[in-house]
Amino acid sequence: MTDLSVSTTSPSAAIPQKSLPEAPPKVTARSLNFYYGEHHALKNINLTLGTNRVTAFIGPSGCGKSTLLRIFNRMYDLYPGQRATGQLMLDQTNILDPKLDLNLLRARIGMVFQKPTPFPMTIYENIAFGIRLYEKISKSEMDDRVEKALRGGALWTEVKDKLNASGLSLSGGQQQRLCIARTVAVRPEVILFDEPCSALDPISTAKVEELIQELSENYTIAIVTHNMQQAARVSDKTAFMYLGELIEFDDTSKIFTSPSDRRTQDYITGRFG
Amino acid sequence: MAVQSDAMAAAGPYDRAKALSAFKLGDITFYWITRACAISVLLILGGIILSLIAGAWPAMKEYGFAFLFTQRWAPSADPPVLGALGPVYGTLITSIIAMMIAIPVGIGIAVFLTELCPQWLRRPIGIAIELLAGIPSIIYGMWGFFVLGPFLANTFQPFMIRLFDGVPVLGAVFAGPPSYLSLFNAALILAIMVLPFITAISVDVFKTVPPVLKEAAYGVGCTTWEVVRNVVIPYTRVGVIGGIMLALGRALGETMAVTFIIGNSFRISSSIFAPGTTISAAIASEFAESDGLHQSGLILLGLLLFVLTFIVLACARLMLMRLERKAGN
Repeated sequence: MTDLSVSTTSPSAAIPQKSLPEAPPKVTARSLNFYYGEHHALKNINLTLGTNRVTAFIGPSGCGKSTLLRIFNRMYDLYPGQRATGQLMLDQTNILDPKLDLNLLRARIGMVFQKPTPFPMTIYENIAFGIRLYEKISKSEMDDRVEKALRGGALWTEVKDKLNASGLSLSGGQQQRLCIARTVAVRPEVILFDEPCSALDPISTAKVEELIQELSENYTIAIVTHNMQQAARVSDKTAFMYLGELIEFDDTSKIFTSPSDRRTQDYITGRFG
Repeated sequence: MAVQSDAMAAAGPYDRAKALSAFKLGDITFYWITRACAISVLLILGGIILSLIAGAWPAMKEYGFAFLFTQRWAPSADPPVLGALGPVYGTLITSIIAMMIAIPVGIGIAVFLTELCPQWLRRPIGIAIELLAGIPSIIYGMWGFFVLGPFLANTFQPFMIRLFDGVPVLGAVFAGPPSYLSLFNAALILAIMVLPFITAISVDVFKTVPPVLKEAAYGVGCTTWEVVRNVVIPYTRVGVIGGIMLALGRALGETMAVTFIIGNSFRISSSIFAPGTTISAAIASEFAESDGLHQSGLILLGLLLFVLTFIVLACARLMLMRLERKAGN
């Protein structure tokens, strides 16, 4: 985890950023490579997601940010011809182990997608559904858990009177928070956000960002974003990726004030991308 | 350029209103043509119903509601005794058994094809299903008569009788002398015939499920079964039920294959291995030699089938509405 990541001097930041002590590693990638068939999409990625830290992934479209995220919960496994090599550890578990129980892995590593993806059922069921996969609990306990999850998703006050309405009847921003609540409900350890705000209006975006900050107290978070300000606002560490390579990985304040790589500088100042 | 503007000047001032009114005329014509097409459907439907009622009128007057509850069918008695209970029972039982077999198998194939099947196997199975739909029904009838019938009578029925001997209800359902021609044989053939409908439509609607929705379900840790059960099927339920209804409509009305293998017996037996008849089979096998009250009775049977199909479709609509309400839409 010391590969690329230690920064000793935290430059006086234009962006106010808490300088946190180095967190114990939660997810560790070593010489991770990924292939779409013949296409070599990720090249030799080494990085660490710190426990209960927010790590942002930035870079131009097609640089492999989302691909990397989809390796963390083995989502690529659904599609033939996609494979990963190298090492990827979640605590002591090898994520790439072909014998790994994927359902269990995905319970530990939740994911929120670019577009809101409420299931075709009621708001209540959207939350209860995930819980029921892992736990057998009574109706009253379930009510409790659903409420807690919806509160966790900052959605409770808006939906508490219409829990039996379809999840699809909510607005886009509410749907996205429902998806976050659903992800939180199964008590994961890591939450992956794949451009969670790209389909949302500014107010919803602010709410989701606030939520991400709150969640980072209890969860390890990885977020892919095209929004530079968003990365600066929500994350502790930022990884800049370009053409399938991890160019720079450092404290967010450092990346956005004095990046060490020319390409990072060019990207965050908007010279390309 | 110059030539063009000269030509325009020569054509005189461009009359915008006139040009538009020409378009408007076209629009009105188009509107009436499409409207006539739509109305013709109603006219044809109404005409069929009216002629059925007219044809069935003598029998309706003669038998009244007793027609529905009479099992005896004796057109050559004097006066003829006609009752629809046997054919209605046969129609419902064969269709229900056929759907009980075809729905799980059809949806199962669709799930396999869209979610689990390796790419190279997808096309062969898909094509085989389509071919199944293309086989003429008389071929199914012959196959049921010469192959399935003997197998059922010689192997399957004795086995079921031994298995359920002495069990109340089920014992009676499978009892009776073996026969090549039976309700169950017809139901099996119907199941095979309607299978492609259910599968083809299910495959099409399953493909409309956004991949990201499935990924989200896998993302909370669902197994493939849970994704299909809780996301794919609820998301596509309207389409799937539409496919099932299409299949049920076909099963209720299928004539040729069923006439071949059902045995054309108007007696109601508790055993599904006994011969029976369906409405369409009864009409097909007797209409040519019928006259007078007998013919009117057969037309009344046809009207009943019409009503039956209508009730089934209405029930399907009702069921869809209840499902939607349950899902909170």
